[in-house]
Amino acid sequence: MQHCRLEFVSLIVFSSTYKVLMPFTRDFEAIKNALSLADECDRTNLEVGLVGAAQHILEEWGNGTPCQIVLVTDGNAGTGQHHLQKTLMASHSRGGSQFPLPFPFPAKLSIICIANPDEPCLQTSRPIYQRLVELNGEGDIMIPEGKLTRKSVTEMFEQLVKNNFSSYSGVLHCGNLSAPITLSPPPQPYCRHHDFEAVRVSVDPAIHVLGFLNTGDVSSPPAFSRHLVLPLSAKGDLVMLPKSEPGSDDEGGGGGSDEGKIPSFCVLLHGGLKRENMVALCQVGEKWYGILYSWADNKKKSNLMLSLFVPGFDVIPWMGKLSNLGPANLLPVNPYGPSDSSSPFPLKVQEKKSYALNSVVWVRQGGLQSDIQKILRHARKLPDKTQSFYKELNRVRRAALSYGFGELLEGLASVLERECTLLPSSAHPEAAIQLQHAYEALRNHDKKDARQNIMPLKTTYSGND
Amino acid sequence: MSFPTSHKTVFVMDHTLTASSGVKLEMDSFSKCRSGSSSNGGAGPVHLQPMNLIPLRPVTKSLWTCAVEAITEYCRIVWDIFPGSRLIRFVAVDKTAHKLSSWNPEDQNLTSLMNAFMMLGPARAIGPGKLDLFKGLRTAIEILMEPSAVQHEKRTSLTESATKVLNKGRIILVTKIDTEEEVKTLKDKFHDTLLYLNKVAAATDNLMAINHCDLVLLNLWPDGPLCPMPWRSWPDVSTIMSCEFTNLQGGVSLAPKLCNLVLKHYDLASTTVTGIPMKEEQNASSSANYDVELFHPAAAHAAILKGIPTETAHLKTYREGADYETVTLKWCTPRSNANVELQHCSSAYRITSVDVNSRPSSCLTNFLLNGRWVMLEMPRKSGSKVISHMLACHGGDIYIHTMYTSRSILEDPPSISEGCGGRVTDYRIPDFGEFLKANKLAPYPASALSSDDNAVSTPLVKSREQLSRHTKYWPITLSATSLFTLGPQVEPLTTLMVKSTLTDDEVVECKQVILCLMSMEARGDPLPSPMAGRGGKGMKREDQYRAVWAELEQYLQVHLHTAAHEKVLKCFMDCHNKASTPEYKGDEKVDIDQALKELDDYNFMTEREKQEFNMGGMKHVPSDLPLPESKRRRSAPPPLTPMGRSSGVSLLTLWENKVSSEQSRRCLEFQGRLRAEGNVTKLYINLQKDKDKDDGGPRKKN
Repeated sequence: MQHCRLEFVSLIVFSSTYKVLMPFTRDFEAIKNALSLADECDRTNLEVGLVGAAQHILEEWGNGTPCQIVLVTDGNAGTGQHHLQKTLMASHSRGGSQFPLPFPFPAKLSIICIANPDEPCLQTSRPIYQRLVELNGEGDIMIPEGKLTRKSVTEMFEQLVKNNFSSYSGVLHCGNLSAPITLSPPPQPYCRHHDFEAVRVSVDPAIHVLGFLNTGDVSSPPAFSRHLVLPLSAKGDLVMLPKSEPGSDDEGGGGGSDEGKIPSFCVLLHGGLKRENMVALCQVGEKWYGILYSWADNKKKSNLMLSLFVPGFDVIPWMGKLSNLGPANLLPVNPYGPSDSSSPFPLKVQEKKSYALNSVVWVRQGGLQSDIQKILRHARKLPDKTQSFYKELNRVRRAALSYGFGELLEGLASVLERECTLLPSSAHPEAAIQLQHAYEALRNHDKKDARQNIMPLKTTYSGND
Repeated sequence: MSFPTSHKTVFVMDHTLTASSGVKLEMDSFSKCRSGSSSNGGAGPVHLQPMNLIPLRPVTKSLWTCAVEAITEYCRIVWDIFPGSRLIRFVAVDKTAHKLSSWNPEDQNLTSLMNAFMMLGPARAIGPGKLDLFKGLRTAIEILMEPSAVQHEKRTSLTESATKVLNKGRIILVTKIDTEEEVKTLKDKFHDTLLYLNKVAAATDNLMAINHCDLVLLNLWPDGPLCPMPWRSWPDVSTIMSCEFTNLQGGVSLAPKLCNLVLKHYDLASTTVTGIPMKEEQNASSSANYDVELFHPAAAHAAILKGIPTETAHLKTYREGADYETVTLKWCTPRSNANVELQHCSSAYRITSVDVNSRPSSCLTNFLLNGRWVMLEMPRKSGSKVISHMLACHGGDIYIHTMYTSRSILEDPPSISEGCGGRVTDYRIPDFGEFLKANKLAPYPASALSSDDNAVSTPLVKSREQLSRHTKYWPITLSATSLFTLGPQVEPLTTLMVKSTLTDDEVVECKQVILCLMSMEARGDPLPSPMAGRGGKGMKREDQYRAVWAELEQYLQVHLHTAAHEKVLKCFMDCHNKASTPEYKGDEKVDIDQALKELDDYNFMTEREKQEFNMGGMKHVPSDLPLPESKRRRSAPPPLTPMGRSSGVSLLTLWENKVSSEQSRRCLEFQGRLRAEGNVTKLYINLQKDKDKDDGGPRKKN
């Protein structure tokens, strides 16, 4: 576990029931102690074990955290394996039931058989294990090489660690500045189907900073995963210094804190980003980008964090195509302005959405009614509201013509005609003129080009306004 | 989800649906007593019929009107949430088929759709038996065979995936069907035509055979008694076709039914934001709480619903009249600074409001459009609450962000100060801040772009080049540098030399810096920096200067991007009586006389620049110098009057020495060339020498 010191581990034992012996912890001694508490129980029930693991992980981490499930068994799928086999093979009967595979979170299932490879039980159980791994989509089965000995089992576990728990080791570059780093948790390869392509890509050992952006401008972009960026020593080790104590023998420089005194670019980058409240856009793989930023779990401790986007150029709509981002200072006009007061972000969308367009929707009862009421509200305030009146009138008229709802225009004309007759004697003469003009125009809709809006009538009064 | 069926949809609309839908609008209700209008603000039935008026005829929607309204609403939702990636086309059919739009992006919006329907006109009654529905379906199949822009791009791309581009789509027929028999005939005939046209398409270059088509028969039924034919589906008519028969009833049930359809076709989900406080229209001092329903891709709920079902069951409810579930989340009073912080989100999807023009909806959307961010809270079964989502507008589109709700594996991380380099306290963080600002990214306009994604010269590649240029020499701590501890003293030089090109003026500015340092040294002025590095305070003044000069030389040597940069190095070399390396051929060479001349020219250029020069000079003059001295300098026509009395050596003298040494240097250089093997002179000989000397870092103790 020296590879992934920030990894959380939990220990679950199962038989006909399951028991969480040690909830998730970074304290590996606790796990070791818990191991000695494991008792022998009644019978092997793989399904119970898997359900237990799924349940415990969901409760603790939800469904977004990648997990490794290591199932350690003796190579005997146990009693009731025929039942299990049936469940596994009949894909339909599993639907919607409790069966935990595939796990409802990104998971790798490693089934470790501590058994002689030629054990007859193992031969019958193996297809079941194989099926479990297939159902989960990711994982493998491990069996000791050669005879079952302490050595072969140790080797098998070493192989498991090598395959699944190797830490990331890479270099963070920013132009000619660089630092060896590790990422915690180790980044997982991205294998997903997008709308028009299948994407498979892994994080490169070299991560390149490409430029910088204001934190406000990136506007909390969605991240595929997040990783702590931890600088490594020149020897490639992860160094964790004891918590700094003010006034301690910093000057003395004890052997353990030497690594802390060799400058690391990571610390500089972190400090700069934090000071300027900026993020660094970086490339982590082919067409795969992310941002580096300073992040604080609490007030005291801040550290460098990497958020990986979903792979691709067009993944954050408000930033535009990432490959189109370039040095602002080389543009003819720097969009950030001379005093950094403006910003080119977010990119404005070309077409306004319906909620910003005042679009006409009449599928619900109230829609049409309130649109007509709005016209009448303005009609009753003519001539002050002449422009608004015609604007609303034309909006409804255009919609009615689009919806093939000519009858509405006739009806609306009648309502306006009635409004006209109901005008109080105190009304402005212009009101009656405009109302009459409007209802006549509505009635003539089929005689004119439908696209032509009704224009306010020019009157002798309108000039006086 | 690769090549989703919903990428392309064709609506085939029966243009003969003149029958009444039964949806009535009472026109009389709008004319009411003026005096009473304010108290009875809505369309309530309680109002007084004005006296002596002939009642107005109610207006009735035709089935066609209902159909167009419904389809427009369907498209509104789709285009709000999936601009550009989900395309919809329309065919109206009466005696013949009318294509109303194309796959082009400019046709994929509400405005052009409304215009197309306006041009088409209302439903037409044609004689019985003259409606050719099938012609419409056939046209729709042909339309589906036309590749969309993205399909075309992928298909013609020269990658291995080009052959794997699948053509899937959906055809939605909107008509009124009376019998089951009719449904069967339509379905079977459609399948045969699909098979036949696929063969035709396979033989062409420009059409794509259809890999799968989902036929939806949308039966538009008048308001009133329910349609006798129930919903039915045939998921596997064949490997290339599925079919579904759905009723859409006009009237009040139309809207929820339609929502159901669009949710299913596009895998959307509904969220109801509850408890939004809004001021009352009538009474501004009181506020009431409202709910607003939103649609978005169902994946936005994945994080909260994919977990343990019993934990989240209470979140889901059915809205009145709707047969789909909505997840209710609570509005949280937004913090004003949320949008300048980085919130941790796992996804962001576009949203649209369900009842877009209702007052609560437009209140919420306007609030968001104005730049406010709204957190949404998910009540937990245990009674605790957690922020699960966030609504935010970016550039005009409103998004729902999903936040992390469970425990983070990144909890209690070690601080950056507990790792490698964590105990170093003299990082050049303010300088790095300037470096960050100088390397900000901005979107490049289309005009500055080449079309190829993989082009070598994307703006992003340019930025990486610029970063590389800016970091050619960048000591990360103060103790590793003398040059950069000088602060503003070397300012224009250090910001200018990293540029890819230098103007003549900028070259002169850089030279100014060197010359000023020279004069400072000549005067014996102490360096302004605290000189924390390079041996610390104990260092002798001349050693300090020597360290600066060595570093400056190294700095200039790595920044030889152009002949102009070269000139700066040359100036430095000339000042220090060193052999400059001839990178650029003779005609590019600048000797000290020319440099001086340039300097003179510069000083006589404009009044402003002259002032700038003098300001620069003043900046470098120690404050204890008497003011008249600098004043005199400002007005003095010959720019190189003796200064720095303390040292007794004038700048002019200094340069004269250089000029004479220049002469001797030339001779030496000639000899050097003679000594060169094969008459080839090694370039950058000095650079190499310096490197050897400085091996193990720039820290050179002289």
